[in-house]
Amino acid sequence: MQKSIRKYWPLFVLPTMAAFLIGFIIPFCYGIFLSFCKFTTVTDWKWVGFQNYTKIFFVAGKLDTTSLHSLWYTTLFTVVTMAIINVAAFAIAMALTKGIRGTNFFRTCFFLPNLIGGIVLSYIWLMIFNSILSNYSMTIVSTQWTAFWGLVAVVCWQQIGYMMIIYVAGIQNVSADLIEAAKIDGANNRQLLTNIILPSLRPTITVCTFLTLTNGFKLFDQNLALTGGNPGKQSELLALNIYNTMYGKTGWQGVGQAKAVIFFILVAIISLIQNKVSRSGEVEQ
Amino acid sequence: MKKKTVTIVLTAAMAAAMLAGCGSSSSSDTAASTAATEAATTAATEAAAAETTEAAATDTTEAAATSDSMDPGTGKVYLLNFKPETDEAWQDLAQTYTDETGVDVQVLTAADGQYNTTLQSEMAKGSDAPTIFNLGSATDAQTWDDYTYDLKDSSLYNHLTDKSLAVEYNGKIAAVANCYECFGIIYNKTILDDYCTMDNAVVSSVDEINSFDTLKAVADDINSRIDEINEQFGTSLTEAFASAGLDDGSSWRFSGHLATLPLYYEFKDDGVDTTAGEPTIKGTYLDNYKAVWDMYVADSAADPKTLASGSYNAEEEFGLGEAVFYQNGDWEYSALTNPDNGYEVTADDLGMMPIYFGVDDANEGLCVGTENHWAVNSQASEEDIQSTLAFLDWVITSDEGRDAITNTMGLTAPFDTFTGDYASSNPFFQDANAMMADGKTSVAWSFNATPNVDDWRADVVSALTAYTDGSGTWDDVKTAFVDGWATQWKLKEEAAQ
Repeated sequence: MQKSIRKYWPLFVLPTMAAFLIGFIIPFCYGIFLSFCKFTTVTDWKWVGFQNYTKIFFVAGKLDTTSLHSLWYTTLFTVVTMAIINVAAFAIAMALTKGIRGTNFFRTCFFLPNLIGGIVLSYIWLMIFNSILSNYSMTIVSTQWTAFWGLVAVVCWQQIGYMMIIYVAGIQNVSADLIEAAKIDGANNRQLLTNIILPSLRPTITVCTFLTLTNGFKLFDQNLALTGGNPGKQSELLALNIYNTMYGKTGWQGVGQAKAVIFFILVAIISLIQNKVSRSGEVEQ
Repeated sequence: MKKKTVTIVLTAAMAAAMLAGCGSSSSSDTAASTAATEAATTAATEAAAAETTEAAATDTTEAAATSDSMDPGTGKVYLLNFKPETDEAWQDLAQTYTDETGVDVQVLTAADGQYNTTLQSEMAKGSDAPTIFNLGSATDAQTWDDYTYDLKDSSLYNHLTDKSLAVEYNGKIAAVANCYECFGIIYNKTILDDYCTMDNAVVSSVDEINSFDTLKAVADDINSRIDEINEQFGTSLTEAFASAGLDDGSSWRFSGHLATLPLYYEFKDDGVDTTAGEPTIKGTYLDNYKAVWDMYVADSAADPKTLASGSYNAEEEFGLGEAVFYQNGDWEYSALTNPDNGYEVTADDLGMMPIYFGVDDANEGLCVGTENHWAVNSQASEEDIQSTLAFLDWVITSDEGRDAITNTMGLTAPFDTFTGDYASSNPFFQDANAMMADGKTSVAWSFNATPNVDDWRADVVSALTAYTDGSGTWDDVKTAFVDGWATQWKLKEEAAQ
C-alpha cells in the first residue's frame, strides 16, 4: 500500500492540482503578465513594460497621492479593526466560557452578524448611521473620519462574533490541570490570565490576528456599500481603489492590474511577517 | 494487478471529469478581477442562455421574410443590452426574430451600473463576444476604437433623422443612437396653475416663466408661502424644489445633467462641437451654475448638510405632490405614472420646462441627447456582422421591432421609420417637440464630452458637497470643474497613445 501511494501520488493529486492550476495559478500568472501590458479586454494586450507601475504614483508628470492616501488609510483601518476585534472578541469569549446562563444563546447572537453578507449589512448600517447622524446635520460621508469610524463599526460588528467562536474554542482547550495547579500555587485571576491562559492561547491569537489583518486589507464589500469611497475618494480602501482604477478610467486597466500585483505582494509580506512574529511566541502544550 | 488497473481507470475518469468541469468556465476565469463582474453577470447570462434557441432546429425556408428587408444571413447576433428595464422586451423581440428567420439572437443585459465591467469580460470571449454593444459617448468610442465597425453605409445610419446623434470617432461612424432623451425641470402643472391664481403670485400663468430670474422668483415665493398654498388648495407641499441629493444615486443630476449647461454654452462660444468638447475649459458660466444650484438647495426642505446621505428620494417627493419642481428627464414618466409606486401625480400633471440658465433663456429649449448608441463589433466574423446589421435593420423597420421599441420599451427612436403609430406618446417629448417647433434651440448633451467621467464627476460632487454643507468654498468647485477637466483630459489623451 505504502509503495503504491509513493508510486501513484501524482495521479491522486491531479484533480486538485488541475483545479488549483486553472482556478488560481494560471489567472495569477496571467494577471502579473497583464500588469505589464496596456489592454482593453484580457485577450487583447500590448506590452508596455513598467509604465503601468510608474503611473500608480506619477500621473501626467505629477505625484498622484490618491493611491498613497488609500494605502495609509487602509493600514490605519487594518490596525484599528485588528486591535478592536481581537480585544473585544477575546473579552466576550472569556465571559462566555464562565458557564453563565444562556451562554449558547449569547454565542449565537454574537455570531449571527457574520451570516449576513457584507453588502446587505452595510446598506442596513448606512440607514442606521445616517438617521442618527442627521440629528447632528452630518452624514456618514461628511468627512473621511466619519466614514472611517463607520467602516470600523460595521466591520467590528460583523467580525467580532466570528473571532469570538475561535477564541472560545481556544479557551476551552486550555488544560484544566494547568489552571488547577496555578490556583493551588495561589495565582489570582489576573495572574491566571496573563501567565496561563494567554500563553496557552498563542496559536489561537496567531490565527485570529492573521484573519483580521488580511480581512482588513482586503475589505471591499463594506467599503463599496457603506461609503463608496466618498467624500471624494478619501475613504477609498485599497481594494476599492484598484477596482475604480480598473473600471473607472479609460485605458487604465493595466494600471489597475499593476496596483493589484503590488497589493498582493504587500499583503503577502505583511502576513508572513505577522505569522512569523506571533508563531515565535507559541508554546507547545 | 486487476485491482490496480481498476483503480487507475477510476482515478483517471475522476480527473477527466474534474478537468471537463473546469474547462468550460476557465476562459472567463482568466480575467484578472472577475469576482465582481461574474456576480453581476451570472444571473443575466443564465436568463440569456435560457432564451437562446437552437438555430439549427428551425428550417431554412425564408419565404416568410418580408421582401424589402435585408438578408438575415447565416451568422449569429449577440446584443449586450445597456438598459436593464428593457431586458424582457429585448428577449421577446429576439425570440420573435429567431422564430421568423432562424438566426440565433442572444440578448444579455448588464446589471445597472455594471455595463463597462460586463462589456470588458464579454468582449474577451473572442468569437462568442457581443456583436452589438452600447457606447455612451465619444470617450467610450476611444476605449473601444479597435472594436467599432464603421456604420457609415448601414441602414441604421441612413435611417437616422439627425445625423449628429451618431458617434463619430477616428474617421468612422462608431455608433448610432438608438433612442434619444430629454431632460429639464419637471413641474407639477396642477399645483403651479393653482399657484398662479393666488393673490400676489409672481406670475399669472406658467407661460410667463421664461427666464431664470422669473423661475427663481416663483420658486422662492412658493417656498416661502407653503402653508398658505396648502391651506388654500388642499395640497401637501413641503418645498418648491425636490431635494438635490448628492449621493451616488442622485448626484449625476447635477454633476452630469446640470453641468451640461455651462459646458454647452462655453463650447458654443468657442465654436467647438458641443458633444465632443475641448481639452481645457474656462468655466465662463459657472456663476450661472452656482445660481441654479443655490436655488435648488435654498428652495428645498432638505437639510443642506445631509444631501450626501442618500436618505432623500426626490422622485417620491415630487410624485407625492410635496414638491413642485424636479430636475430630471423624460425617463421619469413611467416611474411617476406607474400605479405600483403609489404616487399621486397623473400624466396630466406633468410638464417639463428648460433649465433656465440666465444665458440665452429666450431661445433655450430642453436638453436633448442620448447615452444609448449601438456599436457593432468589428472583430466579429464577417457573417456575424452581416446578420447583426440585418437584425438591427429589422428592429427599426419591422412592425414588431418598432412596436417593441416605442410601446413596450417606451423609447423615442431617432429613425425616420418611426412615424404614425410609432411616434412617442411620452408627454415630456410632446413638450420638447413643441419647444422645437416654437424655434427654441435644444441644448446638446455636452456632458458626453466629459473625460474620465466617473473621476471628474466624483471630484465635482465632492467639492459641491463641501460647498453646500459649509466646509468648502465655491472656488473648490470651480477648481474641480475647470482644473479637473484639464487633468482628466490629459490623462485620457495619454491613455489613448
